[in-house]
Amino acid sequence: MTPTLFGRWQTRIFLLATIGLLVTWGFASGIFGTERGNVYYWVLLYYAVIGLAWDILYNYLQKFMWDHDWPGAFQLLAGIAEGILLAILAAVGVLPNVSDHFDLLMFTIHYASIWVAVYLASWVVMRLLFPRWRFRGGEWVGKWRRTS
Amino acid sequence: MQLQLTWDDPVTEEPQQRVSPLPIAFGRELEQLPREIDGQQVHQIVLLDTNSEVSRYHALIFEVAGEVILEDRSTNGTTLNEERLIRGRRPLTTGDTIRIGTYNITIALMQTEDVGTTRLTGGGSTSTVVFSPQTNILPADEILDETPAPSASSSNTIINFNPETDNLESQPVISTPTAPPQPSRRVFPPADVFAAERVSINALHATGYPVEEIDYTAIGGGMGSFVWVDTIRICGVKPDQIRVLTLRPGRPYERYEALLRNCQIPRYKRIRSGSDSCPDNVWGWPGYALREAWRETFSGRIPSAISHLWEVFSEPAFADTYTPIADNVFNSMDREAARIGWDRMVRYGSVRAIRKTEDGRYVIAYSATKPPAAGSAQPPAASDYRFLVAKYIHLSTGYPAIKLLNDLQDYRQSTGDTRKVVHGYEPHDHVYEYLEKNGGTIVIRGFGIVGSQIMDRVYKARMANAKISVIHLSRSPKAGNKFGVAKRYVENHWEFQPFNWPKGTWGGDMRSMLEAADPLRRRELLEAWGGTTTASRGSWRQTVKQGLKEGWYTLKFGQVDKVELNEQGKPVTYVKSRGYQGIEKIEADFVVDCTGLVSDPRENPLLKDLIEHHNLDLNPQMRFHVENDFEIKKMRNDKGRMYAAGVITLGGPYAPVDTFLGLQYAAHRSAEALAGARAPKIGHLEGIGSIWQWLKWAANMSP
Ligand SMILES: Cc1cc2nc3c(=O)[nH]c(=O)nc-3n(C[C@H](O)[C@H](O)[C@H](O)COP(=O)(O)OP(=O)(O)OC[C@H]3O[C@@H](n4cnc5c(N)ncnc54)[C@H](O)[C@@H]3O)c2cc1C
Repeated sequence: MTPTLFGRWQTRIFLLATIGLLVTWGFASGIFGTERGNVYYWVLLYYAVIGLAWDILYNYLQKFMWDHDWPGAFQLLAGIAEGILLAILAAVGVLPNVSDHFDLLMFTIHYASIWVAVYLASWVVMRLLFPRWRFRGGEWVGKWRRTS
Repeated sequence: MQLQLTWDDPVTEEPQQRVSPLPIAFGRELEQLPREIDGQQVHQIVLLDTNSEVSRYHALIFEVAGEVILEDRSTNGTTLNEERLIRGRRPLTTGDTIRIGTYNITIALMQTEDVGTTRLTGGGSTSTVVFSPQTNILPADEILDETPAPSASSSNTIINFNPETDNLESQPVISTPTAPPQPSRRVFPPADVFAAERVSINALHATGYPVEEIDYTAIGGGMGSFVWVDTIRICGVKPDQIRVLTLRPGRPYERYEALLRNCQIPRYKRIRSGSDSCPDNVWGWPGYALREAWRETFSGRIPSAISHLWEVFSEPAFADTYTPIADNVFNSMDREAARIGWDRMVRYGSVRAIRKTEDGRYVIAYSATKPPAAGSAQPPAASDYRFLVAKYIHLSTGYPAIKLLNDLQDYRQSTGDTRKVVHGYEPHDHVYEYLEKNGGTIVIRGFGIVGSQIMDRVYKARMANAKISVIHLSRSPKAGNKFGVAKRYVENHWEFQPFNWPKGTWGGDMRSMLEAADPLRRRELLEAWGGTTTASRGSWRQTVKQGLKEGWYTLKFGQVDKVELNEQGKPVTYVKSRGYQGIEKIEADFVVDCTGLVSDPRENPLLKDLIEHHNLDLNPQMRFHVENDFEIKKMRNDKGRMYAAGVITLGGPYAPVDTFLGLQYAAHRSAEALAGARAPKIGHLEGIGSIWQWLKWAANMSP
């Protein structure tokens, strides 16, 4: 992938608000055999919001690569880093509505499920839904620049 | 004393040469360069730079007591040969290379008498500016007056595509007496009708030639036309609204495959593009890696399948970049061509001229006379000239012509020999056949992807005959381009990059940076990202190392003075190199030009006529100036629109124009613009509609 910062943000928001929400609903409603509860929605929200800051970092690091690209392998490493940070923040009690009943195992399963679903969707669904997505560094809304 | 300075254009790699009296000042800003020093007039050279490595007034070259001295005056220094010089002075001799920013400039001292006719450019004006890169977009008539137009001397390009057969032809060997006379290009189109600014439809009918009408026309019928037609078909346009005019009605990849074959890439080999650069699939999914892995899994080659998936997952950081096999790309295009009804839209046609019509459309004058097949005894068919009137045109005619390095061109012209000195894009299998049989020496010029393929082929030839050696000749050693905090990787003077531009230029931040930039900044960016590179492939890099170790592969640096045929009938390259007194002579059996130079659009009769008649704007690379959506704005005719794609647009808003994915990008942009302009039957491709179209693609159903 060769994203722009706006592309990262737009893609993150879109995928978490669709696929991410769907997966989370599966957990929160108990159909995956989990204990019902709103905590999953909160995890998703923090994942999205803190992620926007992570994206700024990735966008900076990407410039060190000659090709200014972001290989799938980096996405995986980034996903692990984000998960660890979320878990730490939850465990130390700074995430309201999550920290009170934090369960590391459930968190890991939930987070990993979202990550895998979003990762696969970013390679497949985004391309099929928005052919312009890959030409615009991940931006699926907005106009092309007008001037010549 | 005068100085001859030689460097390569950082974008097109074309050698640039200037001769100038001393003193000469270098820097980023013309205004900051001195005009006079001690009463002596100073000559200026302006160098662009995006990395802030070139100072406003960077260096000075002057003469004291018969010695030529380089003085660095910059913040970041000047590299003289391998030595970094900051605020110091060094004497210069012929063969020295100075590096300032990304420019590698080779110096030759010339006594004033040697200079002959090579004078400063600038049309004999009093200007002291030796070189200042053009960064403006200018209409053709202003450019033609200013710089020596390449077309002024038709000898500039000597390898052309025949305008009827599309075969590559080398100028000195054309007209053999038995060849059928070329159909005269004068009679058609009728000059009086086509002299008008806007042609009237009645006047066309009055000529008596057939006139057809259509909504959309793709001119070229190669890769660029194919992906454009594919895109607009998927966006809703029907086959009977589209016409494709081409010299190669057989297959859209015919010319491309011919060029691949010439540069020793047969069908079973891997080409240089990404897994998701799929000319058969506008979505880029599934990419070629996934498709290949899929097939391999079902034929039991699991490890190979896994390795391809690993490549696309981790390239280019932890693995060599995946590239598809040419045959897979072609087969996938055959399937897509059948799906979209390509054969129903394609006609043989040698397009000669394009004009605006009075009713807001365009008329395309073409010859539908098929040239007789090579070697056939058939008399040439009777002339069949036609007009096609269309509302929307897409122009993708590929390489206007192929260009040899100047010294090789001179060699060919003076000796008439086109067998021992060849261009990598020309058919030249005889070189390897000869070497396999007799052994010998081959000189390679240029470090691009073609050079690497030819190295590969020579390696294979060495299996048959170990008495083959390779001399790789280049003007100056490679330092590796820089951009911001990143630097391109160099090994044994080969510079590596997965594709011909950094990946971020296709769709990422580099694409958006370039699009947003003004012409000056665009040129700076293209200079920083450009240059010849090759793809990193483990086995091939091993070949280079082995060759260097075993001594059959040598790298030499120096500026070629001339190439001549010696008494033994071998081409001898005369090189001015540092460390040798005078001139080194390299005798070889063959010289192969792998610089991959492509000529100016004005070398092609159709494009020249188009540019000159409509006084089109050219970008700083002397290619078509296009808008961000690839429209040629000056061709706008009421509702009628014309778009361009491919190498003829290099130097504008988008860098990788001459690549599959770049052609798809151009197609996508123009299709979106056409949908915005409410062109007939075309819609935006997105959302559920897009998924529906993808399902049709997957099921191999007509769009
Ligand atoms: C050796 C080589 C290897 C390459 N490898 C890759 C790669 O691996 N990946 C990648 O992405 N890109 C690659 N490219 C670059 C690029 O993708 C191809 O060159 C591609 O074919 C360009 O498409 P095009 O439409 O511009 O030109 P072409 O495919 O060459 O088509 C131009 C067509 O226009 C026709 N034409 C010209 N003039 C007229 C006229 N007056 N009337 C009618 N028809 C006319 C010609 O007959 C030709 O069929 C490679 C290029 C070369 C030369």
